[in-house]
Amino acid sequence: MSILKSLIYLLIYPGLLFLFVYSTFCEWFDRKLYARLQNRVGPAYTGRAGILQPVADFFKLLFKEDIIPERADRVIFSSLPVVGLAIVLTAGLYLPLWNIDVSIPSYNSFQGDIIVVLYLLSLPTLIFFLAGWHSTNFFSTLGGVRVLTMLFGYEVPLFLAILSPAIVADSWRLAEIADFYQKCPFLLLFQLTGFFVAVIALQAKLERTPFDIPHAETEIVGGTFTEYSGKKLAFFRLMTDIEMVVGSGLIATVFMAGFPGNAFVSFVNFIIKTLIVISILSLIRAACSRIRIDQMVNFSWKWLTPLAVMQLFISILVKGVFWRILQ
Amino acid sequence: MKLKPAAFIPELLRHIFKKPATVRYPFEKLKVPDDFRGTPVLKPELCIVCRSCVRDCPAFAIEITTLSEEEKKYKMTIHNDRCIHCAQCVESCPTKALFMDTEFEIATDSRLKLKAEYIYSRQKKTDQKSQQT
Amino acid sequence: MKKITIPIGPQHPALKEPISLRMTIEGEVIKDADIRLGYNHRGIEKLAESKTYIQNIYLMERICGICSHSHTTCYVQAVEALCGLEVPKRGLYIRTLVSELERIHSHLLWLGVAAHEAGFDSLFMYTWRDREVVMDLLEIISGNRVHYAINTIGGVRRDISEQQKEKILEGIEFLRKRTEYYTNLGTTEPTFVARISGVGKLPKEKAIELCAVGPTLRASDVASDIRKDDPYAVYDEIPFDVCTADTCDVLGRVVVRVKELIESYKIVEFVIKNLPAGEIKIKAPRKVPEGETVSRYEAPRGENIHYVKSNGTDKPERLKVRAPTLANYPATIEMLKNGFVADIPLIFAAIDPCICCAERVVELIDVKSGRSDIMTFSEIKRKYFCEKKRETL
Ligand code: SF4
Ligand code: SF4
Repeated sequence: MSILKSLIYLLIYPGLLFLFVYSTFCEWFDRKLYARLQNRVGPAYTGRAGILQPVADFFKLLFKEDIIPERADRVIFSSLPVVGLAIVLTAGLYLPLWNIDVSIPSYNSFQGDIIVVLYLLSLPTLIFFLAGWHSTNFFSTLGGVRVLTMLFGYEVPLFLAILSPAIVADSWRLAEIADFYQKCPFLLLFQLTGFFVAVIALQAKLERTPFDIPHAETEIVGGTFTEYSGKKLAFFRLMTDIEMVVGSGLIATVFMAGFPGNAFVSFVNFIIKTLIVISILSLIRAACSRIRIDQMVNFSWKWLTPLAVMQLFISILVKGVFWRILQ
Repeated sequence: MKLKPAAFIPELLRHIFKKPATVRYPFEKLKVPDDFRGTPVLKPELCIVCRSCVRDCPAFAIEITTLSEEEKKYKMTIHNDRCIHCAQCVESCPTKALFMDTEFEIATDSRLKLKAEYIYSRQKKTDQKSQQT
Repeated sequence: MKKITIPIGPQHPALKEPISLRMTIEGEVIKDADIRLGYNHRGIEKLAESKTYIQNIYLMERICGICSHSHTTCYVQAVEALCGLEVPKRGLYIRTLVSELERIHSHLLWLGVAAHEAGFDSLFMYTWRDREVVMDLLEIISGNRVHYAINTIGGVRRDISEQQKEKILEGIEFLRKRTEYYTNLGTTEPTFVARISGVGKLPKEKAIELCAVGPTLRASDVASDIRKDDPYAVYDEIPFDVCTADTCDVLGRVVVRVKELIESYKIVEFVIKNLPAGEIKIKAPRKVPEGETVSRYEAPRGENIHYVKSNGTDKPERLKVRAPTLANYPATIEMLKNGFVADIPLIFAAIDPCICCAERVVELIDVKSGRSDIMTFSEIKRKYFCEKKRETL
């Protein structure tokens, strides 16, 4: 029974299948909302209100011609998309959605899994860099370098912001953090700054406007993805979508008290909370213009990091006060 | 100049539930104005074969061939594949035998289908020479 | 750091038309730039020699899809001068009206393009949505959204009715509100301003020295506008201001264009309210007397020059077009230097390039050896800019 449950867990919910379906839905939601913000219709024809458009795009790309540049390293060039996809899918398994017991640690929920998820979410950046570097195209290389430069900007604030709720909850386990905030939700109010820092950093991680610097099409063509086509590009796009789902899931877990309830209720919770995060991401995307790489690094060290540190400070204060009240 | 972060957001949010500006073109169509320059059409009964449309057409899109000299039978071919819809022919025509309709969806898969042919015999017996110049 | 040369174009997402910009860069900083033309040469000038004056109006219109009215006006002005035609006032007013509507459409389009190059797609969508209003107005007046074909030698082809006047005023009122909003937004949205301010500097002296034209020149604080300096049509009767900015960067170019939009609304309103009654055109002869002339016109992108030489037949002997974009290329090189790679599309877009309008250079191929000579920039400069200076009377 438990083996069957684990298999379902890995392959169907919340593993492979669910993440695929839900990430395409999220892409549609993002595109539709972005379009409506701009007074457009967005995807409209495939499926009801264009809901199948991302799936159609994915399959269309699968059947497109797949080109590997002559000077590129074939093995690395071709394996990167698959590895990247595997990484983000793995990260998705650690979201405390289903098949977990807060009191008993298991393979998908243990002390320190928040760190694992954060690192798994950092790896795609490395994958993008390698993809750019191994394409041997000038635009890709420049894109790859920009990916790494940006990493130094947003990674620190993201980590600090995500970890400060964990400090208050006194646990490094996502399920326990969520459980803690379900019990005393008012403490989340103190995490508001951290929430916004995390959302902005996630926006940068997902390379969306105003941080779509590494693949700014008007500047460096497709950036890291210039040489990618066909299947590989499809996998990369899917990977970014899943990364968006997992990233917003992570933010929902630590800043919005996770997904309480039985399987169904927690599912609904998950959908609603991630969609809220994704709406904010879309709104940021629509409201800004792309900034330059130096401005981005400046911005994150002048604003994001100090805010994240401040959040950390607040968390420590709250914890001190909170403990005193408890005792 | 003072900077206002997120200055665009109110405008964006205002539009979320508004009707999109996009017209879903093939399913709904906008009306074109009445004097829209669509495709040139000939009213054969008015044509006096003065050939000034042929002379002034910048795209050489109008062709008049004589089918029979005695019967005064002519064929006018308007090559809509070449036509640039400038309406100069309409302006040049002394008898208003040409006019522009409002048809703009003339795309087809072959340029031969765009040819419009009119076979007609000249009605008025005015001297052809005097109409020119 | 190592210097490398990267090609921007002839095919690049930032360029809507083919042109090759070769950038020598160090890291992300541009050290040198070179522009190569000739990917879109259409032989229009040669073709014009084999067409009659009437046919050439429509050919001139097709030099550019955005400033189509600029080219025809410039051309018919030249021909009218050669024939010594006195165009009726009403015709000139309608011509001016269409010119200004075209300027509005072009500047709104440019605002959207600039926003898109800066990665600000929402602004792009909104400006282009609002641009539909002026496109529809042009369609109502002329029967087509892009190639208005309103000019003819000796006047204009279509009159304006009272109903149309009302519609135009309505549309202009709406656009004025929107433009005021964009002015506000474009100069206060931090990410957008961060992208455009201080980028692509072109100091005043350099701008004059390199013969920049149009909004590019005016953004470097030089109040030069053909409409004021050498008024054609009825611009000497219309009150309007020449807009300038003193920041000498892309932000300045945005500001100049937005201010010009507001000025254009004023001009359109003035024209509609003061439209004189009378004829709209006079009959023009088919054969143009011998002579040569130069006509100047302030297109949305800058000074447009047409040179027409006639030999007494119904076809011109020589027709030479100097589109404003060509005059702005040397200044572009200056602006690009020491910029960032990320700013290339913005700087280049800021001159509002219309590449195929400016394609007057051919690649020279030696028939015997098959060797091709690419014209270098200095050659183009020698060939075309010296010519320009002579032509500017
Ligand atoms: S509309 Fe213009 S191009 Fe078309 S047939 Fe008439 S004159 Fe020729
Ligand atoms: S100009 Fe008019 S009358 Fe003359 S040939 Fe053409 S259609 Fe006929």
